[in-house]
Amino acid sequence: MNTKQEIMEKTPILKMENVSKAFPGVQALTDVNFSVEQGEIHGLVGKNGAGKSTLMAILMGILEPNEGAITVGDERFVAMSPKEAIAAGIAYVPQHVAMMDSLTVAENILAGELPRNKMGLVDWKRVNQEAKERLEKLGLGLDVNKKVEGLGVAEQTMLAIAKALFGNAKLIILDEPTASLSRADINRLFSFIRSLKDKGGSFIYISHHLEEVFEICDRVTVIRDGRVVGTERVKDIDVPKLIVMMVGEDVEDYTRESTCVEEVILNLSGLERRGYYEDINLELRKGEILGLTGLQGCGAEQLGKGLFGLEPRGIGTITIHGEEFKAVKPIESFNQGLAYLPQDRYRFGLVGLRSVRENVTYPVLDKLVRLINLVNRKEEKKIVDQYITELDIKTPSTEQPVRLLSGGNQQKVVFAKMATTKPDVLVLHEPTQGVDVRAKMDIFRIIDDMAKQGVAVIIISTEIRELMGVCDRIVVMNDGRLTKEFRKGSKEMTPEKILAAIEGGKNNE
Amino acid sequence: MNKAQKKDWVKLILDNFIWIILAVLFTYFAVNIPNFTLKSNLINILLHASVLGILAIGQTIVLLTGNFDLSAEGMVSLSTIFAMWLMLEPGIRGEAQGSGLMMNPFLVIPIILLLGTIVGFLVGTMITQLKMNGFIVTLAMQLSLRGAAMILSNGQIMTGSPKAFNWLGSAKVAGFPVSIIVTILMFLFVNYLLNNSKFGRELRAVGANPDAAAASGFNPKRTITLAYTIGGFLAAFAGWMLLGRLETSISTLGEGYTLETVAASVIGGVSLKGGVGSVGGAFAGVMLLSLIDNALNLMSVDSFWVEAVRGFIILIALLIEAQKFRYKPKVIHEPAIEKPAVSGTK
Repeated sequence: MNTKQEIMEKTPILKMENVSKAFPGVQALTDVNFSVEQGEIHGLVGKNGAGKSTLMAILMGILEPNEGAITVGDERFVAMSPKEAIAAGIAYVPQHVAMMDSLTVAENILAGELPRNKMGLVDWKRVNQEAKERLEKLGLGLDVNKKVEGLGVAEQTMLAIAKALFGNAKLIILDEPTASLSRADINRLFSFIRSLKDKGGSFIYISHHLEEVFEICDRVTVIRDGRVVGTERVKDIDVPKLIVMMVGEDVEDYTRESTCVEEVILNLSGLERRGYYEDINLELRKGEILGLTGLQGCGAEQLGKGLFGLEPRGIGTITIHGEEFKAVKPIESFNQGLAYLPQDRYRFGLVGLRSVRENVTYPVLDKLVRLINLVNRKEEKKIVDQYITELDIKTPSTEQPVRLLSGGNQQKVVFAKMATTKPDVLVLHEPTQGVDVRAKMDIFRIIDDMAKQGVAVIIISTEIRELMGVCDRIVVMNDGRLTKEFRKGSKEMTPEKILAAIEGGKNNE
Repeated sequence: MNKAQKKDWVKLILDNFIWIILAVLFTYFAVNIPNFTLKSNLINILLHASVLGILAIGQTIVLLTGNFDLSAEGMVSLSTIFAMWLMLEPGIRGEAQGSGLMMNPFLVIPIILLLGTIVGFLVGTMITQLKMNGFIVTLAMQLSLRGAAMILSNGQIMTGSPKAFNWLGSAKVAGFPVSIIVTILMFLFVNYLLNNSKFGRELRAVGANPDAAAASGFNPKRTITLAYTIGGFLAAFAGWMLLGRLETSISTLGEGYTLETVAASVIGGVSLKGGVGSVGGAFAGVMLLSLIDNALNLMSVDSFWVEAVRGFIILIALLIEAQKFRYKPKVIHEPAIEKPAVSGTK
């Protein structure tokens, strides 16, 4: 009797068994086993690209798994569309909740089933009353007459959760719900989620903020490279252990000798762009590789784009080799010795439909143009061939459209493109994202080679382990300020300390 | 390496599909339609292809940037009417009339070419700087230009352009029409230019991926404006050629050219999404349309059918274009683990 009851309680609301998903040339998920119990808040963590999004897309009915079985409650889950996933009882609450902002809370709750009066018109009295009653059942005291756009972000998230429950959701996926919330808002949201949990609600909680995972979750599952590394009760584990699970220890690290010399190449002083970063002072030496890391939204991304001229830079002075760097457009940056590798290479890095040859020489066409507007094809071919050999780009010919290359080779094309401009300073944004392990090593070697030739490199990345391997220095950015610096070889430079520094800002609020 | 370099036959055929069809069709018509291969008929085909061809060059340049130009046929109308207006004597009210300026054709030609250039520049500026919708802007511009032509001409036929003006459209060199020679030279020149110039690279980069083009140091707004400007110039040039051949104009002149130029470009492998295609391909498209038009004419096919056939050909061209994008040769080597291409689920 007793055991039977226990089994009843432990019946998982969601059970995924041996789920795999492959995209052309990419194994996104391999044999994933994942379950959520009734009345549980289950954390799901992993780095960008680990496979969380794919897993959630499967649950939301956006993607279909190639293999594996999924059960929701006690029914087999085969959602072919988001609509079917919702009908099966799975609700997704994104970071930015999408609701009918200009309508009231009550209208949003009862949308599609507004009560009518005898004349067939909407019975507003009943609308408001019913909405109020429903919310009160969940212990959510919102003003039902208020428009949704007038609510705070935390309230909107709570309303979205409530709405999902009214729609008979059995399992609610919360994706980074606290990303733009203050500590007080987080507390309110958490107590609401806990109260629902006590009533038997089940949640998947996705977050990059590990502290919060420990605060709210019962269990946590770590995904890395498309595989489940492990599922642990949060009572049995701590932050460092979780980090080790996320980052992995079996990764082969790239190590290099420092090529840094005394001569300063880049100098940033007093850089400030309101709302993104302030008080940025930094010196970069010849041959130095500097890692810049921080949470998403810490301002590092904007700083990189600002330096290159893809976004406004704000105020402050930059010098390269002692000369003031005034470029405000990418082409001027290239000409003044600064090149940038964007994080999203499909959107900003490459013109996928065009050939390797064309992509490599885009930034230096001005130098290849001879009479009128004609490009010197001979010279162009020489440059392209040189970099294909030097960077070991695997392509059947120079005329291959880059969209047909593998991720690693595409990234090498972006590197070749930057190298043609003979830069003094390289700014790289997540240079190893979306490339396989072998290509990663190649890319580190390329970065290393460039540093050896005297280029100063800034790598903006959240891959702390990779940064530790390749960088001479790691600087942590917090809320738009450079807050901490780690030097290679110092005792301070450990993943735990760096992560603590990255997370530091959040806890101080 | 050898294996990798082996030609991808499917791709080769898809890329040159249009030339194969052209050859097959030509042979078929030559065998089955009497008089088709007469010199006068072949010249007729080329004559029809020349004005359309000039317009198709402009259209292709704009399409390569990922935009449309629906205004060119309006410029054909206005440039011819405006030229006539400048050159003709004042008429009696209600009849076709000129301004009475009796302007020298050698002055009129640069004026209308300049007019086309300026209008093209304005259209480009509206789209890039004022961020107006290109489709609607060029459609509205077509209406405005044709409207202006209607006002200038009083809705009447204007006839009798001077000989000096007609040279481009009517003159012959060694029995061969100048307009055909000029069109072919224009195609060769622009094709070479777009394949070998920085501007050609820029056009295709901007069309295929404006964000990456900007991050590569290009200026997409400038490029798109320039494409429209060239398109405007070529539209006026086509007007000059057409008026020279007809020696007559009316404000409805050029109706239907827009769809034909887009169709010719797409048939020739120019992508409506921008970034892919060449002027050489567009030439093949122009030839195909002219060929079919001519054949239907010779076979005395009911004119109602002609329209339907044309529409059908355009649909087929679009179908082939769509398939081309779906066809994807194998990726060179398999990456182990990569971030899945699911954007928007995060």
